[in-house]
Amino acid sequence: MKKNTLGKAYLTFVLILLYAPIFYLIFYAFNAGGDMSKFTGFTLENFQTLFADSRLILIVVQTFFLAFLSSLLATVIGTIGAIYLVKLKGRKKETLLGLNNVLIVSPDVVIGASFLILFTLIGMQLGFLSVLLSHIAFSIPIVVLMVMPLYQEMDKSLIDAANDLGATPAQTMREIILPYLTPGIIAGFFMAFTYSLDDFAVTFFVTGNDFTTISVEIYSRARAGISLEINALSALVFLFSIFLVIGYYYIMRDSDTVGKSSTLT
Amino acid sequence: MKKLLYFLVGILTIIVLLGFTANRMKAADGVKTANNSLTIFNWGEYIDPALITKFQKETGYKVNYMTFDSNEAMYSKVKQGGTSYDIVVPSDYMIEKMAQEGLLMKLDHTKIKGLEDDDPKLLNPAFDQGNHYSVPYFWGTLGIVYNAKIVKNPPKTWNDIWSPTYKNSILLTDSVRDVMAMVLSKHGYSLNTTNRAELDTAYQNLLKLTPNVKAILGDEIMNYMINNETPLAVVYSGQAAEMTAENENLHYVIPERTNIWYDNLAIPKSAKNVKAAYAFINFMQKPQNAAQNAEWVGYSTPNTKGKALLPKSIREDKSFYPTESVIKDDEAYKNLTPYWTGVYNDLYLEFKMNK
Repeated sequence: MKKNTLGKAYLTFVLILLYAPIFYLIFYAFNAGGDMSKFTGFTLENFQTLFADSRLILIVVQTFFLAFLSSLLATVIGTIGAIYLVKLKGRKKETLLGLNNVLIVSPDVVIGASFLILFTLIGMQLGFLSVLLSHIAFSIPIVVLMVMPLYQEMDKSLIDAANDLGATPAQTMREIILPYLTPGIIAGFFMAFTYSLDDFAVTFFVTGNDFTTISVEIYSRARAGISLEINALSALVFLFSIFLVIGYYYIMRDSDTVGKSSTLT
Repeated sequence: MKKLLYFLVGILTIIVLLGFTANRMKAADGVKTANNSLTIFNWGEYIDPALITKFQKETGYKVNYMTFDSNEAMYSKVKQGGTSYDIVVPSDYMIEKMAQEGLLMKLDHTKIKGLEDDDPKLLNPAFDQGNHYSVPYFWGTLGIVYNAKIVKNPPKTWNDIWSPTYKNSILLTDSVRDVMAMVLSKHGYSLNTTNRAELDTAYQNLLKLTPNVKAILGDEIMNYMINNETPLAVVYSGQAAEMTAENENLHYVIPERTNIWYDNLAIPKSAKNVKAAYAFINFMQKPQNAAQNAEWVGYSTPNTKGKALLPKSIREDKSFYPTESVIKDDEAYKNLTPYWTGVYNDLYLEFKMNK
């Protein structure tokens, strides 16, 4: 019993530690005082300036567009890669898996700089396309890691059964493998989405003339002191992420029940 | 499979919607083609957004506005290529470095109107004699901010902050050149000195400042000062302007022989639309626009006629528009060779480790 309360206290402490800065930031989004030094009164003015700043809104829309698109493409590529990787055997598999893991642990700065050098070497103009390509690239290994374990765990007799019943490989893929992998694929998508959304280091290197993301924009405002408009923006993005998580759980719960019923019938 | 399909279709719908919105927002800005667009690469929050709208209306050029956070970041973007900015805004020493490396276009003075409106003492700076590569955009000094509530005898010179009365009460900006400038200037040496003996003397003296230094920080200095938490800080006049606006106890002092800094408009060699770049320079040179920008950003404009249009309280503030006698000995930073940059960095690092 005593152990339990201790555990709870610890968990509460960790959660407070994790969430305090975020709530502190959001709290000041409603500050009339103009900076984060003192709370002088409640106002929605910061949200008004945020919505009036059409440049910042455009950047936000572009950032989310990039995040959704790059993680979708990375999910498709990564899923195919994961399925292929499981089918491989021996050394080749080890090597490819190792390469995949190296990309996950290598620092963003290195990845960003390498992309910059590659793009300028082939004479590509930096802009939306270069950012999209690099975001897809650093998201793929994450998707692979989310999908592959699930496929490895999968009872292979399901596939054998499908084959015995005369299913074509395409049918097996559609009816057995992909439904089974769905939770991993969706988790992979959301992981890639988060990575893309808050990546600064890689994006900074490969942005060009007509495209930028929230992280790069906020960073460049540091010299003049970041205004509460950014707090307001963070509050909205945080709210949006909570909706995403809720949506994620909703899909997961549903796909779990579907998975179970389909294996039963 | 159905779940996955629904999920994919949902995501695709969101993507199409976002793409559509982004396109509509861009179209509202006007369609950009190679001939009518102008790409500006500036510091974050360093121009009044209303001026960009005004520029687009007046000239018909559509602006792509991109931002950076340090001279070095901007430099590497321009140097590496793959980008085509039409206007960049480097500081003093970076202008010299970029010009030396052939990254900047030589300006055609016949195409620039209103250069004569700029304060003559700010033209022909050491880093770009004759303004061949740059047109001043904002300028200021390095100085001391003090809190009148805590500090009874405000410092007037660099030497004053060495006084034991300021034990553990000074915030320094984490920047090699600025910290070194402070002590070099105290000894009467050039801020760009490449004399090893002078640098060593300066370093030995810098060590004596250690007991007075409370912390070496970045942008957090502003908050500490505004909250009355620290008596003194060594900062740029631009930062000081923001602090003094927030807290009336704060005052800015320009010590003797300090650094004078400039941020400048320049055209990179890789620019695509040079005509638009000149149009933008001329637009920003107009006194009315210069004044509007200075009021929004809060830094000092080099444009004399523009300055005259500013409210009296700003225009006559000696901290941000000092008289010529105050800044006549001030020095801008020049670009140091890699060797001397290394020497400066080493000395500064040793000072920081001693702290």
